[in-house]
Amino acid sequence: MPWNYILSRVAMFFVTIFIASTIVFFLPRISGQNPLEEKLLEEAARGGFLEDTDEMVAAFDEKYGFNDPLWEQYVKFMVDIVQFDLGRSIFNWPKTVNQLLAETIMWTLALGLLTLVFAFVIGSLMGAVLEWKRQKTFLMVLLSPVLTLSAVPYYLFGLVLLLAFSFVWSIFPLFGGYSRGIAGWPDWSNWSFIGNVLWHATLPALSVVLVSLGGWAMGMRGMMVTTKGEDYMLQAEAKGLPDRVMFLRYGIRNALLPQLTGLALQLGLIVSGLVLVEVVFSYPGVGGLLVQAIPRSDHAVIQGIVFVLALGTALATLILDLIYPLVDARIKYSQG
Amino acid sequence: MERAQASVVSPIWWRTLPDRSDFVRDRLVPIFRYLRRNRLMIIGLSAFAALGLFVGISYLFYSQVDLLGEEQGVNGLVRAASVQANQRPSWNPWSGYPLGTDVQGRDIYAAVVVGIPLSLRIGVIAAAIGVGVGMVLAFVAAYVGGVVDAVIRTVVDSLIPIPGLLVLVLVATSLNPGQGLTVDQLAFVIAVLAWPGPARVIRSQVLVIRERGYVEMARMSGTSPLGIIFKEMMPNLAPYALASFVAATSGSILASIGVESLGLGPLDSPTLGSMIYWNIFTSSVLLGLWYWLLPPIIVLIVLFVGLFMISAGLDEVANPRLRRRV
Repeated sequence: MPWNYILSRVAMFFVTIFIASTIVFFLPRISGQNPLEEKLLEEAARGGFLEDTDEMVAAFDEKYGFNDPLWEQYVKFMVDIVQFDLGRSIFNWPKTVNQLLAETIMWTLALGLLTLVFAFVIGSLMGAVLEWKRQKTFLMVLLSPVLTLSAVPYYLFGLVLLLAFSFVWSIFPLFGGYSRGIAGWPDWSNWSFIGNVLWHATLPALSVVLVSLGGWAMGMRGMMVTTKGEDYMLQAEAKGLPDRVMFLRYGIRNALLPQLTGLALQLGLIVSGLVLVEVVFSYPGVGGLLVQAIPRSDHAVIQGIVFVLALGTALATLILDLIYPLVDARIKYSQG
Repeated sequence: MERAQASVVSPIWWRTLPDRSDFVRDRLVPIFRYLRRNRLMIIGLSAFAALGLFVGISYLFYSQVDLLGEEQGVNGLVRAASVQANQRPSWNPWSGYPLGTDVQGRDIYAAVVVGIPLSLRIGVIAAAIGVGVGMVLAFVAAYVGGVVDAVIRTVVDSLIPIPGLLVLVLVATSLNPGQGLTVDQLAFVIAVLAWPGPARVIRSQVLVIRERGYVEMARMSGTSPLGIIFKEMMPNLAPYALASFVAATSGSILASIGVESLGLGPLDSPTLGSMIYWNIFTSSVLLGLWYWLLPPIIVLIVLFVGLFMISAGLDEVANPRLRRRV
């Protein structure tokens, strides 16, 4: 792998991170809103009266440097970001954003990775089989509902699933990541707890997997069409190789690789969709955190979530871009 | 080619029409002939037509009696959709509310009828801005080349992995202190992230088309660069631009519903997204209000599937190589 390819990819990664952190810094400052003021107002509303609000806000601004010139704040913010210091949440004071993220991000990551792998494997396999068998009725019966679903946002389908399987037929739980109110939970060494978590994760995962199957299946089918026309397939057939070997070793193996590019392009969308799915299912991931932070304009938390998820997708894209030429020898590197 | 020529000579009634008949014969007839083969496009367009008919007919004939016992017209429809009536959430088609009333006693049918055009409006405005900006950037990148191209390409490529919805959430929370955006403001917010996709697709097409024979020909016969862009390249880019416009519309509606579902949209306008938000906010599933949750979801599914099929159909127009495959 030539160095300038790696360098350009890594540079692209840093540009993405730079743009993301700049957006994250400047946007909340357009509003002129002060989260502390919101918090104090809320406290005042709850307690009836609060003295010296203005002084408290001023003291806070002074302490955390919100009165410094903008560029100074920007430089400081960037230095903090590099050290992965995302500040403190106003509403969950004195918790840092890092702590809040640490509590929630594993749920999102686990759900995301699981659904991604399932959808990728099942969808690709489905597309490959569809093209290999080429039976019209089978194709129509299986593909048309799946394709129709692929145009629907995850969380809308999730709402439908929730309505059907949790409300009408109470098969799955209505909300949450695990059953609340049981002593000693969450306890990851307890098998019944893990079972409970999986049971709660089924519907959210299903709403993502079923919706994204169609995209993978179509992509795979398209690649399989091209692969079937290749000379080596003709040769394999002439050699009299069994169908299974041709399908697995010659067909899937070659058709699967370009699917990885689709994966890289889809990541951003998948993450956005997942956040909303978590909102619908009240799942304990970053989506729930985000929904809490939005109405209270807890900027540090919103910034932190956006930054971390942008970082995650950019990193995943970078890794995929770097792995891709290693796996697929046909790729010619170009800077671009 | 043979089919196209056959369509021109076949005797059809509109050949007898004066003046405009050339346009009809040379442009419209081939389009309809082609549409007959392009199933996806037909299904997508008819899904849209169905929604349009639903909205249009409802605007014309649906009226609701207000609390004072007076008939309400079109304005009444908007009011019925946004003002709460003195009603419990209920579903009884014979009570005068065909789809029932929601938690705040609003007429769900009216809300859906008013919500469809509003949500489409957001999508179309955002997509028009997005594709417009994307197209200009694409032409600038492809024509100026060099450093400018590199900068535009790098920015576009590095924006793509950033989860768009989250940036929109950030924009929306920053722009509206407390009281929510209006429908048009939301459209502009969404347009902020609607341009990288179209810019990327159109730039690569500009690069391809620029090298075509007819462009070379125009250049050699002394057509100005702007003339080449508008007279030679634009007509050939049209299917791509249209396809990315439809895709961008779908993406923008998706984004708007996402932003609205988080409670950041115009909560006082009955867009489809706000309906979803109120459903999530009041946990309507737990209350068993399925007749409130399902209508916006069904409409959105028809909308998204329709847009998806239209854009797939347009892809087929843009890439004739796809045409013969299933």
